[in-house]
Amino acid sequence: MKKTIAVIRREFVERVRTRAFLISTLLLPVFIVLMAVLPGLMMSGSDHTSRVALVDASSIGLGQTVSQVMQAEKLGDKSDAPPRYSVQVFPATREQLPLVRDALIASTGFSKERQGDGWDGVLVLTDDTLASGRLTYYGSNVGAVQSMRKLQGTISNALASVRLGQSGVDQALVKRAMVPADLGTTKVSDGKLTGQSGEDSFLIAYFMGFILYVSILLYGQQTMTSVIEEKTSRIMEVLTSSLTPFQMLLGKVLGVGLAGLTQMAIWGGSVFLVSSQRAHLAGLFGMSADAVQNFPIPSMAPGLLAVFLLYFALGFLLYGALYAAIGAMCNTIQETQQYAIFVTVFIITGFFAVFSLIKDPTGSLGVTMSYIPFFAPFTMPVRWSLTSVPPLQLALSLGLMVVALLACVWLAARIYRTGILMYGKKPSWRELWRWVRA
Amino acid sequence: MEVAAGGIFGLLGPNGAGKSTTIRLIMGILEPDEGKVVLFGTAQGSRALSQRIGYLPEERGLYKKMKVLDHLIFLGETKGIGRADARRRAQAWLERLGLGAWALKKVEDLSKGMQQKVQFAGALLHEPELVILDEPFSGLDPVNAQVMKDIVVEIAASGRTVLFSTHVMEQAERMCDRIAIIARGETVVSGTLAQVKADFGGRHVALGFTHDKSRAEQIFADRSVVARIDDYGAAAELQMAEGADPEQLLAALVREGVGLRRFEVVEPSLHAIFIARVGADADAAAAHAGEAA
Repeated sequence: MKKTIAVIRREFVERVRTRAFLISTLLLPVFIVLMAVLPGLMMSGSDHTSRVALVDASSIGLGQTVSQVMQAEKLGDKSDAPPRYSVQVFPATREQLPLVRDALIASTGFSKERQGDGWDGVLVLTDDTLASGRLTYYGSNVGAVQSMRKLQGTISNALASVRLGQSGVDQALVKRAMVPADLGTTKVSDGKLTGQSGEDSFLIAYFMGFILYVSILLYGQQTMTSVIEEKTSRIMEVLTSSLTPFQMLLGKVLGVGLAGLTQMAIWGGSVFLVSSQRAHLAGLFGMSADAVQNFPIPSMAPGLLAVFLLYFALGFLLYGALYAAIGAMCNTIQETQQYAIFVTVFIITGFFAVFSLIKDPTGSLGVTMSYIPFFAPFTMPVRWSLTSVPPLQLALSLGLMVVALLACVWLAARIYRTGILMYGKKPSWRELWRWVRA
Repeated sequence: MEVAAGGIFGLLGPNGAGKSTTIRLIMGILEPDEGKVVLFGTAQGSRALSQRIGYLPEERGLYKKMKVLDHLIFLGETKGIGRADARRRAQAWLERLGLGAWALKKVEDLSKGMQQKVQFAGALLHEPELVILDEPFSGLDPVNAQVMKDIVVEIAASGRTVLFSTHVMEQAERMCDRIAIIARGETVVSGTLAQVKADFGGRHVALGFTHDKSRAEQIFADRSVVARIDDYGAAAELQMAEGADPEQLLAALVREGVGLRRFEVVEPSLHAIFIARVGADADAAAAHAGEAA
């Protein structure tokens, strides 16, 4: 046991110390922060009142109605929130329109410091606007997708109420009729509310599948490479004189696994930190808080986290042992490909099953796959996050997983025992069978 | 083959004789097809006894990216020493081998000779009772070989056992108490060094020439006087034929006018024994093969 711990420590420390590990561990959190902040920055709705000049070239005073509706819009949900727009109407005839418009555009789009009384945007209404809904907005913030979507919605409402008013519908009725639907979603699991929205569940499922896929592929291959390194550097002979193959195999898989888990923990921790500090972060980058809210960072329920970690550990050990055995069989990385492809196919199948599962979490495909130990690490946590899994199914799946794990480790240790000291040609399938039986 | 406790045991043999294979069998890295290996009189394998055995394999291997000190600590730990203890011992060994300044360097930054010393230290860190060294001196410069030799002798002096393999006869002759010569997987000679020499028998003469060596060729070719000659050019070692007298040889050489720098009746050198035995064995094997055909 002490010796196994020594092997685990060596594998872990040596891996964590490498520059590649440090860089990849630190880069992802930076990437996550950027992912959280950048889209918000690019699409942020403004948090100050926009000064809009409304050029009204319509013959029916469309400008008045539109400006009333626009000025009723507020920044945020509170009743004392500042208005979203301050609007000034400039009536113009069809002939004057280009002149008035260009004059206003000339004082648009300056920063507040340079010209405090400049316009943020110029909106042009014509007679055509009411019939076709077509109108033009000239502004500095046209790239802010959210702001534009809001503005469009507001004007649509105003136009709709004018059209209805023209058809003789009562204004109060119009107002009541125009109240929009606001759909909130909450996931239910085991008859209890989880507090997750539908979008969150989907993201969590995808996120878990992806993490598992990447880490097993990455760290599994690393286990394999490190066995080959030991073979080529011939340190294997010193090790086998004092360690049993099982100790070496176990120490290696656990050590590499722990390094992977550490990296995941740092990544997970930084996601959590970013999501809990997003308001603060937003302030740091000078954005409105509701802009950052757009980047959804789902939180994981403790039960789901436990299931995920359990399957992650079991899955990693299962695949790690297989990769280590492949490493023991071969002498070069190139040689391993022939065998590693089988394992990779399993992993990829498991990963892609996640996508069909997200569409149909209760289907028979998902249930079947969560009983197959090679796929269960991918499918079960996803099922758990999307639907409620009967405890019996979970127990059965975990049981099968443990049995498969023991079988794989046993098999890998048999191959490892013979393989690690075999140099030269790689074994045929028949020879491999002999190693296992020996 | 038996290796008694205490002293230095030399395992000699030509390339491909099976020296490393024998050592790997002892270490339990290979399984014997027949026969068995008994260590310290117990039925346990070398892995269970690894705390009492130190092993330097022929194929040197270290983790290239690890720091030297960390590596030694790890090797100590695999032998069951505690971490703090292993660190202390590793530092002591590095000082002793003149590698103190390299303790925090990566293994790959060291020269081959230095790496070999590190591995040597790794094999001895846990103060094993039995030290097994496969070709310990190959690839070392004379100064480092001397350092290693001193350590090996010191281990034997403290009552522990050293088994090393080599094909450098001079080294074995100077250091070993007991030897075994193997060839093609068979033990050809084994015993204490003195006994091996006595058993080989015959009278041996060491010669050193100054000039006119060519005049001696006829005498050397006379099988009634010289049974075997090992010619080094400016020197030679002869085995006298049965019943031939060294003085007779000397007289003949002087008569021919061969310039002699040295003429000495000596014990057979290990080198001569090795050449004779392994060579004879080769002849016999060839003859045997001929018969079979």
